[in-house]
Amino acid sequence: MEELETLVEKTLDCTGLVCPMPIIKAKQEIETVPSGKILKIIADDPGFEPDVKAWCKASGLELLKLEKRDNRFVAWVRKP
Amino acid sequence: MVAEGKEQVKEEREKFSIVLFSGDYDRAMAAFILATTAAAENMDVAIFFTFWGLNFLKKGKFALNSKQSLPQKLLNIMNRKADRLSRFNMGGLGISMMKYLMKKNKVPTVDELMKMAKAMGVKFIACTTTLKVMGLEKENFSDIVDEFAGAATFLERAKNSKITLFI
Repeated sequence: MEELETLVEKTLDCTGLVCPMPIIKAKQEIETVPSGKILKIIADDPGFEPDVKAWCKASGLELLKLEKRDNRFVAWVRKP
Repeated sequence: MVAEGKEQVKEEREKFSIVLFSGDYDRAMAAFILATTAAAENMDVAIFFTFWGLNFLKKGKFALNSKQSLPQKLLNIMNRKADRLSRFNMGGLGISMMKYLMKKNKVPTVDELMKMAKAMGVKFIACTTTLKVMGLEKENFSDIVDEFAGAATFLERAKNSKITLFI
C-alpha cells in the first residue's frame, strides 16, 4: 500500500461526476503522467467500478488496485 | 495485460463509426456519450450526421439562406436547433424537465459533449444529400463540421470499423 502511494503522480477527484466525465477526465490526466507512474482516481459514480476496468483494458493501462470505501471508489492506474 | 497494451499502441487505432439520423436530444446524448468515451479509450471515432441529425450542427437558430425555396424555408424553420426528446416531449415540458434533472445530476449537456468530442478528435461529417434536400449550404453549419460527404464515404469507414451504430 505504501509502495503504491509513492508512485502516485497525480490524484484525480471525480466525486459528484457521472459517466462519461470520470473516464474522460481520467484520459486527460493520464496523458500527463509519466511512464511507470500512477494516476489515482476517486469517484462515487457506481458505473465507475466496471468502467475503469474496461477503460484500462481498452487503453492498455494497468489497474493495480480498485478499492471501495463507503460509497466511493479509489483506483490506482499505472501507465506502462 | 501489460503486453497486450504495448502491442495495441503500435497498431492502428480501432474505428468507431456512428450515424446520427435522429434529431432528438436524448438520442444525441447517447451518441455523444459513446463517442467521447470511445475517444477516451483511444478509438478513432467519426459521426456521420444525416437527416434530423444535422440539426445539431446548424449555426444560428434557423439555418436559412437566400437560395432556399419556400418549402425548404418552412422545413428549416420547423427544424431549428434540436431541442426535443424522443418521448414525452409534451410540447417542450419534457425536455425542460430532462435538462433540469441532468443539470442536477451533473450530466453534461449535448453542447458540452459535442465540444468535448471535438476536442478529443472525434470527426464530424455532414451528409451532403440531406443538405441538398433541405436546401442547406455549408455556411449554415458551425465550424465543428470537419467534412461534408456522402454515403460512400461513410460506408468505406464503416467497413473498417470495429463498431458501427445507427442512432
